[in-house]
Amino acid sequence: MRDRRSVHPMAWIVWATSAGFVAFVTTDPVYLFLLWAVSWFVYASHRVDADHARSFRLFLTGATIAVALRTGLVFFGTVSAANTTFSFLEGLRLGTILVIFGTFNAVTDPFGLVRMAPRHLHEPALAAALALSIAPRTVAGVGRVREAQRMRGIRVHGARALPALAVPVLERGMEEAHTLAESMDARGHGAGRRSRYRPQPWTVAAILIAATAIVAAATFLAASAGGWAVLHPQTSPITWPEADPLLLAAIGLLAAPGFVGRTRP
Amino acid sequence: MSDALRFDDVTFTYPEGARPAIVAVDLAIDEGSFALAVGPTGSGKSTLLRAANGLVPQFTGGTFGGRVSVQGRDTLAHPPRRLADVVAFVPQDPGASFVLDRVEDELAYGMENLGVAPAHMRRRVEETLDLLDIAALRDRSVRTLSGGERQRVAIAAALAAGPRILVLDEPTSQLDPQGAEDVMAALQRLVHDHGMTVLLAEHRLERVAGWVDVAIGFDRGRVSSGTPADVIGHLAAGPPVTRLGRMLGWHPLPLTVREARGAASAAPRPTLPPPVLSDTGDGDGSVVAQARGLRASYGETTVLRDLDLDLRAGEVLAVMGRNGAGKSTLLRVLAGIHAPAGGRIRVLGEEPRPGTDVALCPQEADELLFKDSVEQEVRATLVARGETGAAAPWLAALGIAGLAARHPRDLSAGERLLVATAAVAATGAPLLALDEPTRGLDPASKERLIGFVRAHATAGRAAIIATHDVELAAAVATRVVILAGGDVIADGAPGPVLGDSRVFAPQMTRVFGPGWLTPEQVAGALR
Repeated sequence: MRDRRSVHPMAWIVWATSAGFVAFVTTDPVYLFLLWAVSWFVYASHRVDADHARSFRLFLTGATIAVALRTGLVFFGTVSAANTTFSFLEGLRLGTILVIFGTFNAVTDPFGLVRMAPRHLHEPALAAALALSIAPRTVAGVGRVREAQRMRGIRVHGARALPALAVPVLERGMEEAHTLAESMDARGHGAGRRSRYRPQPWTVAAILIAATAIVAAATFLAASAGGWAVLHPQTSPITWPEADPLLLAAIGLLAAPGFVGRTRP
Repeated sequence: MSDALRFDDVTFTYPEGARPAIVAVDLAIDEGSFALAVGPTGSGKSTLLRAANGLVPQFTGGTFGGRVSVQGRDTLAHPPRRLADVVAFVPQDPGASFVLDRVEDELAYGMENLGVAPAHMRRRVEETLDLLDIAALRDRSVRTLSGGERQRVAIAAALAAGPRILVLDEPTSQLDPQGAEDVMAALQRLVHDHGMTVLLAEHRLERVAGWVDVAIGFDRGRVSSGTPADVIGHLAAGPPVTRLGRMLGWHPLPLTVREARGAASAAPRPTLPPPVLSDTGDGDGSVVAQARGLRASYGETTVLRDLDLDLRAGEVLAVMGRNGAGKSTLLRVLAGIHAPAGGRIRVLGEEPRPGTDVALCPQEADELLFKDSVEQEVRATLVARGETGAAAPWLAALGIAGLAARHPRDLSAGERLLVATAAVAATGAPLLALDEPTRGLDPASKERLIGFVRAHATAGRAAIIATHDVELAAAVATRVVILAGGDVIADGAPGPVLGDSRVFAPQMTRVFGPGWLTPEQVAGALR
């Protein structure tokens, strides 16, 4: 259950952007794996409900596939330990960004974002929120349809059984989208006037989350611009990745949401 | 009094429609009236409801002739969003209409769009939460609500925007009897005390006939309006009291239990013999399903605890109870798709094998339709069983042989439900479980379903039906179980169990006393 004590969506945007930035500027596996762990920790302490949990697992799977695919690209050229490692690290970076996005998706209510969007951005924000809500809705729909088909003896696995799963999921999805659009119109969406109901307050927890995330990102920015730490370990020849204590601490800061404003014990 | 809603010679055909959905409709609904749209599925009710706020034709497209005005505003000149301040619409599938995630935000959404001042919004949200008795749900995510809760939240969300006219498509279809009565009472209060205009469509006439003051009858796109007694009196269907009145030639026809009681006492007739109150059903067959010490939970919530149940061949068991009492869970556990948290469940002496020993038709029956024709839909089940048999007997059993070549998507909600039931029944499973099978079902389709379930049971099999529909339970069940708080609080033949209940008593019980269940039964005894 979500309540008014939950974290301001803007704090999550700052957190996700900062964590994403950190992942973007490094290919050091130590930092990247640490980011996976931090994301998981944050997800586990803030996830909203079962549907979101399922969609997080989907992102996790996607991230793993991204790593494997990126690494696999090597085999289309000359294979060497150096370029395999390089590709793996590139893939790992991409995967990390996906996992961070998955966490963001699992801990925020996309519609909470819509409500705080400034008036002239309301339309695009709503479109984005509807798009974001598609993943958890579809995952839930797939579960229900699979179950319904099982109840009449149709096991949904393999390509031949795909229509039994896909047709009802897509048809229901279309129908729901249509009803939703109809309902939004009938409820005055886009009529041009707008006011805001009970804007969500910035809690101490939310301020802490945003502030620590900015510090983390700033530290990596400084390291990247100042060059005082190795962010991209050499792959030719392969060298052991470094782990700068200051940068480790910065990633540690990104775990702050796991300690404050938690929605789960 | 002025017209809240006015239809002048309105004819409308959907973009791919072969014939008009509504034809030459002339209709005026006075401000402050409580109007009911009745008629079989596919007769144009939903279309007319959607035309009342311009969704038809502005959203659907199609060919539109005539004029609809809403408090003087022409729906062709004003898009639906420009009518949102005067008319609100609650669609049949309330879950799909939610825009935001939290219940409280959902209630405020319409007002935000209308630019209502924040302080005023807050007050209106609080009042509406109380009016629909959903204050406890305010922080919940709409996606986690039960069907009945969703329906209430959808009505509240429409009301909160402060419209003068409220249009609702089957607003009680997912509510338990008490919940339905509460919603109707709340709507009536809005009409009586606040002068609102309410227009609703509903198939379960026994739930609404006594509340409304205008009825609009639909017959293949043509409408006629009048007093509820006039319009419902001319239908083939009606609430059980009306059907009884028709069988016995009563004038005027009663619409409510109270009117029927008056008619029954005024009519010089021999006193009714007391009905036979048996407390065992026809359950003398072998045990089909057995639960011992069954416990089930969702997440951390215990839904069923220490439940013992024997279901025998020949039985039709109706499982009743308020919204969220665990009816669907019991069906899902019996069907082997929800693992029990404890205890033992056996179907034909073994662990339930879904799709083989037991088949369940879910509440969202649409979710299993995927073929291009009704016939192929049933064939898909047969093929999965490795059978080459024909689909025709299953279609005939449900009275939908005439729909064999049609695409399920083109059918009405009621017809699709019958198709889904046929597709599930075609597994040939000895235990058939139906979850809320009369939702959106018109009386004619309901009769077909009742006939089918009876035949299934008399052929030595068993059926279990989770339902809020007391008249369905009265008509088809050989045994009724009432769940509350995870426990079985009543179990026995429908006569004594329903007769002993204030909430679940069918109309005949309310008029003639415990044991009388259907108008056919009463008429038979009185003749």
